[in-house]
Amino acid sequence: MTDHQIMQDVREGQIEKLAILFERHHVSLFNYSLRLTGNRAAGEDLVQEVFTRILKYRATYQGEDKFVVWMFKIARNTHIDLLRRQKKTLPLDDQFVETPDAEPLPEERLEREQDAALVAKALARLSPRKQEILVLSRFQNMKYREIAELLECPVGTVKGMVHRSIQELGEIYQGLTREKCHEM
Amino acid sequence: MKCDDLKIHWPDFLTGDLSPKAKNAVDAHLVECAPCAAELHQITEMWTKLGVLPMEKPSPAVRDRFYTMLEAYKQGLEAQEAAPALGRSRRRSFSLRGWFSLERPAFKFAAAAALLLAGVAGGVLVGPAGPFGSKLARLEGEVEDMRQTTALSLLERASSSDRILGVSYSEQIRTPGASTIEALLRTLDSDPSVNVRLAAADALFLFAKDPRVKDGLVVSLGRQQAPVIQVALIDLLLEIRERKAVEALKALIADEKINPDVRKKAEAGVKSLTS
Repeated sequence: MTDHQIMQDVREGQIEKLAILFERHHVSLFNYSLRLTGNRAAGEDLVQEVFTRILKYRATYQGEDKFVVWMFKIARNTHIDLLRRQKKTLPLDDQFVETPDAEPLPEERLEREQDAALVAKALARLSPRKQEILVLSRFQNMKYREIAELLECPVGTVKGMVHRSIQELGEIYQGLTREKCHEM
Repeated sequence: MKCDDLKIHWPDFLTGDLSPKAKNAVDAHLVECAPCAAELHQITEMWTKLGVLPMEKPSPAVRDRFYTMLEAYKQGLEAQEAAPALGRSRRRSFSLRGWFSLERPAFKFAAAAALLLAGVAGGVLVGPAGPFGSKLARLEGEVEDMRQTTALSLLERASSSDRILGVSYSEQIRTPGASTIEALLRTLDSDPSVNVRLAAADALFLFAKDPRVKDGLVVSLGRQQAPVIQVALIDLLLEIRERKAVEALKALIADEKINPDVRKKAEAGVKSLTS
């Protein structure tokens, strides 16, 4: 079943089917928030709040937008609301130095995580708008026209932003790599 | 074609959505314009790296909170359905705001009791032994199967954006089956779109602990012709410290026609893996 069909069923009262949409999308919603705020708790709050709002506003779902676009519209509004409440956020790179297990990391995993941390750190240095464009296009695999619908701007603007954002990210990443090499 | 005219196509190049006509124009320009080729190479490399950034998982509490909320909501709806139609001459649509508006003392008590019940019930229901826990496990299994089926189906499509979506679905699979891994390796080896091949490489990296994937990446390195894929594969193989890649890297270095950047990368790779 497509997201759209499931959401139609939820709208018609089969609310237990929201569980399927939760299982499909909660990790990507969490990562959307995590990449933008660097704060895991904010990401988890966003997931909860988005699904609560989907239930709350399920009657307004018309299926004019693709379900994911509709969901991310809710997520964007939720993100803005949560930011107002939680002014303080952790730097993104702090999230990646945390190691969930106490075991020492194998060398290759450590190297991989260090590189991922560097990319994440570079991403965190972009403006919020550029971060969001890259998060939506690269992590959420949204089409440019879907992002344009979501951000309510022309597709050409989205493409231009993607180009500039990835270029800037590359420059920041190269700079951070050079800094790291000097430190070693 | 001027460089600026060409650069408007790059975002579509990154996602593999370039039309054949635009792709021909880009390819023709890149042969003649080294600065554009270098710039496109750099942004493609960054795009690939961004894709390798791991998908973080939220804590299990998120799932518990969601199912508790859903259960409480269902109970609220059922309670409303069962309630005597006091003064209700017509059916009213359900309002969550109304449900949680704790204006009246009687409603305060009912809502508090329902929430307490939902909390306790939620813990029991969502736990592994509870009915919702087993339902959840079954649901997760169904979702996992569905992802595999969807990924395999999309990877066979004619549209490159569909195939990228297929790769994306495969990335969400926790334990990919042999058919998914084979499909991703086949995509990496032979997909006509560079971006789909790059996406497949990213996806395979997530499953790099699997020996079939490691071996497949090494074999694929010897088959690739596009420098951007060769560089991406070298980076991935170095990141997973796959020592079996040394021979494939040496073969690349020995190839006289190889791109100078790829040779440089391969030489650095051999040095790193043998040190």
